[in-house]
Amino acid sequence: MTDGVSIVAEGAGRYVDWGVIQISVTNLTIIAVMVILFILALVLPFPSGHGSDDGGDDR
Amino acid sequence: MTAGTTTGTDPSNWTARLRNRIVGLVPPGQALPDSQPIYVASWIYVFGVLTIASLVIVIGSGCVLAMGGSTWWHVSALGHYVNSVHLWSVELLFGFMVIHLWGKFWMASWRGGRAMTWITGVALFTISIGTSFTGFLSQSDFDSQWIGGQAKDGLNSVGIGAWFNVLNPGQMLMWHIVLLPLIVVALTAIHVILVRRHGVVPPLDTDVEV
Amino acid sequence: MTRKTLDSHEFPTRPYDLVKEFVIALIVVLVLSVGLAAAFSSPDDPPLTMAGWAQAAPDDVIVTAVGELAGTTTSATYGPPYNSAAEGQKLGPLPLQKLGGVRTPVDSTSLVLDPLSKVVGNPVLAGALAKWNAAPEDQRTKWATDYADAIGAAATDEEPATGAGGDPSKAAPGDYGPVPTLSAGLLTLAQGGGLEGALTSSGDFYGSDTTRSLLLLSDGAYLEDQARAKHLGGDQWGMMNEVGNAPGQPWMWLYTFWYQVPPFSTSDNADAQVWGLMILLTAVLMLVPFIPGVRSIPRLIPIHRLVWRDYYRRNKT
Repeated sequence: MTDGVSIVAEGAGRYVDWGVIQISVTNLTIIAVMVILFILALVLPFPSGHGSDDGGDDR
Repeated sequence: MTAGTTTGTDPSNWTARLRNRIVGLVPPGQALPDSQPIYVASWIYVFGVLTIASLVIVIGSGCVLAMGGSTWWHVSALGHYVNSVHLWSVELLFGFMVIHLWGKFWMASWRGGRAMTWITGVALFTISIGTSFTGFLSQSDFDSQWIGGQAKDGLNSVGIGAWFNVLNPGQMLMWHIVLLPLIVVALTAIHVILVRRHGVVPPLDTDVEV
Repeated sequence: MTRKTLDSHEFPTRPYDLVKEFVIALIVVLVLSVGLAAAFSSPDDPPLTMAGWAQAAPDDVIVTAVGELAGTTTSATYGPPYNSAAEGQKLGPLPLQKLGGVRTPVDSTSLVLDPLSKVVGNPVLAGALAKWNAAPEDQRTKWATDYADAIGAAATDEEPATGAGGDPSKAAPGDYGPVPTLSAGLLTLAQGGGLEGALTSSGDFYGSDTTRSLLLLSDGAYLEDQARAKHLGGDQWGMMNEVGNAPGQPWMWLYTFWYQVPPFSTSDNADAQVWGLMILLTAVLMLVPFIPGVRSIPRLIPIHRLVWRDYYRRNKT
């Protein structure tokens, strides 16, 4: 189905220019997703199995 | 009560000494505990294990690529797909690793004698970058040509290029699939053993002033 | 005032299944990897070949060959590890490039002459090689330099055209010795595919070291032109990028950032300086636990209150 010759060589993708910063849309998306994941990890409640207010088991 | 060290006091017995050393790496029952301190209750804690899981997929997909050979992915649709899995698992590895780093920083996880855990973590980050770099040099495509030509200038400028020739794909491939993965896996093992040894760091506000 | 962290083993615990967590993480990453791979694949831009270079940019091949013979190309004037033509870069007072030594010796004229010397059945070429080899060093350099000047370069935004504007076929007649024949010979060899691997195998059956081939390719303008068209150039934040819309190396953002700004963007020692700076910053990151002030940032900006809010709420003292 594929051979090296038939794959068209790609040029440049989509880029965002902001002052000295030039970043690809893909990379920017990756970084944005990472920041969102980080924030979500901090704020989303974690299922900790606590039914009551007096803390977990003492062992 | 100690287990299994019946004749463990003979200092000339190398086996006993090694066994005691291994057993002493983590407190009893802490190598694979089925409990955690109650403060381990946040999604931020899953990014370490996600990083390890990503490493497993990276190595696994790399093994499949190795089965086909270094240029298999250019001539086979399956090979190309496996290459894609390898690329995306690497992107996931770095994404999870960096979020893990962010979390560990804001939790000041180096406290309580955990400086080596932090240091091995930063070392892993740095060596992972080097490993992915040698990966790009092993692609046998346009990227490999360009990246090699560019990177040589950086490495040559500080004298490293005299020993580590990025224009030699045979050398770069072997660093990528043998030497660097061994170092990454060894450092990961040390990092995880240190976490189990010291336990997950307690919350910042539980630190006491002395 | 010093602070002591309590022993984590003295806190109350609750059940936690590490192995199940790992297996779930493995499944999640596996699903994400195979899914992203199926959706977005991975780029496979074919490598440049010598024949492709010769077909797309024949003048560039000629100009590069003449430059190798004149000793003016990037590789010819590089310094260690390839030769002693230059001292190389310094990090402050430290001549690190020179200290590395010439451990991968490459004679740039051999990049042209070695493949040509293996051509058989071409008496004109053989004669040109013999004439070159018999001539003294400064005569060779003069031939090649004069021919390079005659070919000249095309006009740029900053400078007008020189010589024949970069077109060898329009170069003014002159005494260039065997250089025009040699450079045209290399172009013909490249066009016919005879240059592929000629600098890699060096007469051996197996060759996996492409150093000399890549140096020749990098001495031309074609490789960089192609890279810049794909947004991979050094001053295009290229270190972070991939061809097309493929994901690149976002983690290289800080390394490549320095190249975009002064003083590095205009420095002759930029590579050594950026390396030195990044080694320093990596060391700082590694030693955060010991750096006063930096290690206190998590306490001063208490994001940890989000992480441990459950515990803090239940354990108000």
